Amino acid sequence: MTEDRKSLPIPTPWSRPFWEACKRHELLIQQCGDCGAKIFYPKLFCPECLSSNLGWIQASGKGKVYTFTTVYGYQPGEFTQDVPYVVAVIRLEEGVQMMANIVGCRPEELKCDMDVQVIFEDVTEDISLPRFKPVVKKPKT
Amino acid sequence: MNFKGKVAIVGIGEVPTGKFPERPCLQNALEACKQAIEDAGINKDEIDVVMPTGTFFDRRYNTNMVFSQLVEELGLLGKARDNFQVFSGGSSSSTMLKSACGLITTGLANTILCVQSDKVGSAPVQEMIDLFATFGISEEWETPHGFFMAATGSLVATRYMYETSTTPEQIASVVVSMRKWAALNPNAMLRREITIDEILASKMVATPFHTKEGNVLADGGAAFIVTSTEKARELPGIPVYPLGFGSRVFHYSMSQDSDITRLGFPEAAKEAYEMAGVGPSDIDFVELYDGYPVYPLISLEGLGFCKQGEAGAFVNAGNTWPGGRLPMTTNGGMLGQGHTAAGGGVALLVEAVRQLTGKAEARQVPNAKIAVESSHGGTFMDTHICILGREVP
Repeated sequence: MTEDRKSLPIPTPWSRPFWEACKRHELLIQQCGDCGAKIFYPKLFCPECLSSNLGWIQASGKGKVYTFTTVYGYQPGEFTQDVPYVVAVIRLEEGVQMMANIVGCRPEELKCDMDVQVIFEDVTEDISLPRFKPVVKKPKT
Repeated sequence: MNFKGKVAIVGIGEVPTGKFPERPCLQNALEACKQAIEDAGINKDEIDVVMPTGTFFDRRYNTNMVFSQLVEELGLLGKARDNFQVFSGGSSSSTMLKSACGLITTGLANTILCVQSDKVGSAPVQEMIDLFATFGISEEWETPHGFFMAATGSLVATRYMYETSTTPEQIASVVVSMRKWAALNPNAMLRREITIDEILASKMVATPFHTKEGNVLADGGAAFIVTSTEKARELPGIPVYPLGFGSRVFHYSMSQDSDITRLGFPEAAKEAYEMAGVGPSDIDFVELYDGYPVYPLISLEGLGFCKQGEAGAFVNAGNTWPGGRLPMTTNGGMLGQGHTAAGGGVALLVEAVRQLTGKAEARQVPNAKIAVESSHGGTFMDTHICILGREVP
């Protein structure tokens, strides 16, 4: 476990199950029990139909890079040691979008629409952050 | 639309944009107000609503604006009916003007003084980087991943370049265009022209953007006065009429935007053109919000001046420069004039009025009769389009 002094997410009552699942290295999203909408990030009630009947489902953890940037400068002070780092918007298979860092890949290898898979980094005892790494395609034999 | 032809902008004011540590922010606001009053040739006591938009550099200053400091300074105590804030970040130009149109056409106000002032240019750089890193960036879902305001345009540009095959040189040409206009603008901060090579050789900030493709935070202030057409006819100057508005809000946190290469432009543009009763071919010049050089390209396409993916070549060919076919962002935008927090849109609105009234001096667009102004707040959370004209078609 790497101790991290950066700003960490402060869970809300309705997002806490998401962060608890991250500690178990599981990626959860919400689903509306009334209209069926899949929801990320976690909401207090369904943004489509305003129902409070929300449940949690396991996401596949697979998705595609919608867009990204590799940061070299003007970063917030607390990220100075991480430069360069990649910030991306991932479109999960379930259709929702989330921001995360992409790791395990040289920045110049990144492309929009490339396949990525979630991994988790335990940054403190309480918080594990989802990150994504490229899916390595096995060469066809 | 019942505001068309009934409401007019009759005066503008603006202080030079830049880093002025010795110039108090109150001075930015007051000088802009005084200029606007003098430009309108109006008796200041006829102003019955003062509308100061939001300020970012200092919470106490902003509270003073909300709590009627300008009414007291301008000698309007007991005369002004209202002092209140209309604020949507960079798109406050449009939201203030729309609010003013509504208040005037309903008879709830006669003459409204809209003013923006800020002082984000003189603060220590890292302090402002860290402050802006919190604006419009979701604390829980974006900040922990090292996302910040200055990287927002990069996310848009990466996807835009992927979808359209627009080149880094074409993107950089937007900065070239902005600086050519800024060189002619005495109120601009960055008045030196720049080349594509120089831009692409500057330090990388967040791919694909380099230092010279970023806006520079600045101190500044601008104001405009809105009144009824009836009143405008009694005044000495040329009135400018708001003809149409169109807008959409499409995200709070950028990571939730599912169409970041269009930014709501097609819908907002259709609305604005229909309301104004004009189309792209009627437009003489455009005051398009920049912030980062990808945005004017998306704007040119969304407003129907270029097909999708062709705006980069259009700008690179010089069409938007001084003397070009479609003069664009003639004050130099935030890439040339400077980024005064919520003032980017207000500066463009003031510039559109300046052009339409023939007061733009070295950068005057010949026969400027109809203009499009665009603006955006937050991390490009919204798109606002305003069509303005010297006459009501």
